[in-house]
Amino acid sequence: MALFRREGTAADAGVKSPGTNQPVDSYNKFAPLLDAVRGIRWPARSQVRGGIPGAHTSRLRGISAEFTEYRPYRQGDDPRRIDWKLFARSDRAYIRLSNDRAILPTMIVLDASASMAFPVATNAKWDLAAKLGVGLGSVARNSGDPVGMVIARESEPLVLAPRMRSSVTHEIIRAVSQTEPAGSAPLSPAVSLAAQTGGRLVIVTDFLGDADELLSVASRWVVAGREVHAIHIVAREEIDPSHESAMVADPEAADIRRPMIGEARDQYIERFSAWRDDLSHQWSDAGVLYTLAIPGDESADHLIRRVTAIRSGAAIA
Amino acid sequence: MTFLAPGFLYAALAVAAGIAALHFIVTRQPRAAVLPTARFVPDSPATAIVRDARPSDLLLMLLRMLIVLAAGAALARPVIKPSREPSGRVFLVDASRAVADTREAADSLKRLYRAGDAVIVFDSSARTLRSADSLATIKRAAVRGNLSGALIASLRAASSMRDRVDSVDLVLVSPFAAEEFDAATDSIRKLWKGRARLIRTNARVDTTLARGNAIELRSSSDDALAVTTAIANKSANRSGARLIRNALSPNDTTSSAQPVVVWPVSERPPFAIASSPDVSGGITTGATQVVAPFNRRWRFPTDSIRSARVIARWADGEPAAIEKEIGQSCIKSVAIPVVGIGDLVIRSEFVALVNSIASPCGGSSFGAPKSGDALAALAGTGPLATSSYFPAREDIESPLAPWLFGIASLAALAELFVRRK
Repeated sequence: MALFRREGTAADAGVKSPGTNQPVDSYNKFAPLLDAVRGIRWPARSQVRGGIPGAHTSRLRGISAEFTEYRPYRQGDDPRRIDWKLFARSDRAYIRLSNDRAILPTMIVLDASASMAFPVATNAKWDLAAKLGVGLGSVARNSGDPVGMVIARESEPLVLAPRMRSSVTHEIIRAVSQTEPAGSAPLSPAVSLAAQTGGRLVIVTDFLGDADELLSVASRWVVAGREVHAIHIVAREEIDPSHESAMVADPEAADIRRPMIGEARDQYIERFSAWRDDLSHQWSDAGVLYTLAIPGDESADHLIRRVTAIRSGAAIA
Repeated sequence: MTFLAPGFLYAALAVAAGIAALHFIVTRQPRAAVLPTARFVPDSPATAIVRDARPSDLLLMLLRMLIVLAAGAALARPVIKPSREPSGRVFLVDASRAVADTREAADSLKRLYRAGDAVIVFDSSARTLRSADSLATIKRAAVRGNLSGALIASLRAASSMRDRVDSVDLVLVSPFAAEEFDAATDSIRKLWKGRARLIRTNARVDTTLARGNAIELRSSSDDALAVTTAIANKSANRSGARLIRNALSPNDTTSSAQPVVVWPVSERPPFAIASSPDVSGGITTGATQVVAPFNRRWRFPTDSIRSARVIARWADGEPAAIEKEIGQSCIKSVAIPVVGIGDLVIRSEFVALVNSIASPCGGSSFGAPKSGDALAALAGTGPLATSSYFPAREDIESPLAPWLFGIASLAALAELFVRRK
């Protein structure tokens, strides 16, 4: 709550619904998480493109005070960047180089399909996805990066353009709070939409929709220099289904109703495990930072620390 | 109401209960739990048989039960039990050739008949009339009466009345000619455990007997058959008839009560048509057989023997002579060629053949009316027959069965439409 006192009330952020206390309740829900991730920074995985000065090392060499090296003057260089003192001492013209710092716009893509509303009683998958979206957005904003969000909903995607202002966290909270997972909207269009404005993409999904198309889109943006994170939400009940359910149905495909009795359950566990392994390898091989997240096994802030930690591109689980 | 075959109704009730039970048992997929990763479960069909609290397709169930129950009830043959009467009557009315006039029997019947009584008319066979009024339309038959067959029919009629009356009175209206009795009459009569009322009507007078026993031959002087008739008229069992060998005149069939035997020498016999000539090796009249070659030229078509009696047949079974009733008498058409060569016309079997052909109409005389012990045995003694003694009939028609079958058919049609919807 201290955070909200510093950043203003929900009403100040313009996110309160008239006549209801729902936004305040939502903020209270996410407040402990926001407090827990307050000190986390999220450095870029590699040098970012130049642009607005920010916290991440830029690919461009500029004229900042952070000296890096000298380079002999070449025709066409700006004469004002010649180090005249060195020229006076060595009678040779050198250009003084320094690293630039730039921002890294971060776009978070949330999968709000019906499969995320699982388990039905707790909606644990969606809750974790929402917390990761809010938490990572807060971390990115605290790192000085503009943050935006795309929620792939049953209707049209909800798009929050990347912004650096303090109220962006509140807007993200409001967006995820007002979203109920439903339908079977594809995620790849939302990722393409987000990648147009974001240098860093975070995809939070269970990959039970258009997984192949999604991998194709993500691979293209990785090649285009985007930093892509994939957080795979898997419920414990999906890994080890209840023995009480003799028949199971896919919430996104009405024609999929199958009995899970006897050997079928063992075959399911084997197939699902193999699919997760394949998925992890495929996304890691594509240069995506893949993270497996199981609700209840790990707190959201711990997951955020894992995601934001600098690592070498290998998948972590 | 009672059912003649209640087993069908019990079976229908059992089937209807089964139908109802089946409508409470439904085959459906069990309730499915949500699992987003259900696609990884091996695909296999799964249905479960569960017992539902409410019947599925209530209208269909009712229609199907109606079909089964209506059909079962129809097969069970429901009959409405009528109110019982103290007694009922079974009338056996003779309409054979021995009866002088059937109107006499009808008049006797009118005095005794009451609604619900059974009227059976018999000659050589017996048939049940729907009402006593129909008796006025009955004509005397040309055949011998069969009292044994009539008594069996009366037993069946009594079985039909057993649910309506306490006792059954048997009323016989007949001249009781001797020819109507046979060896089985007494034993069949004993099957009726009760007395019978006998009403004797006038017997028909046998005119052939009244005219004397001699064959009057009308032919040319050189007719070979003249020798045969002369021998036949000298025999002890001679018959009386007019044997015409030349052209037949209208007076021959109307003026005489004697049988008229038309036996042309070479012309076509009455009712016969020409056929391809062939030779038959013999003739039979039942008791008499004549073995000799006969040049067959005529045959009797099927239509001609429909209302006739065959009195002689060729060796291959084809009719050789037929008899047709005309008024009080009859005309006999003989298609047997007779040649004067050889000893055929004087052979004893051929004389017997001529006597047989010239016998009275119908083959024999009616015989004298029975009397004395025979009629006493027929009347019997004791009280009326108790209806419970007669076995229940199983061929009683159920008036409700067609309606029930109709209801079942309509329900089946409705079920078809409802099921398609």
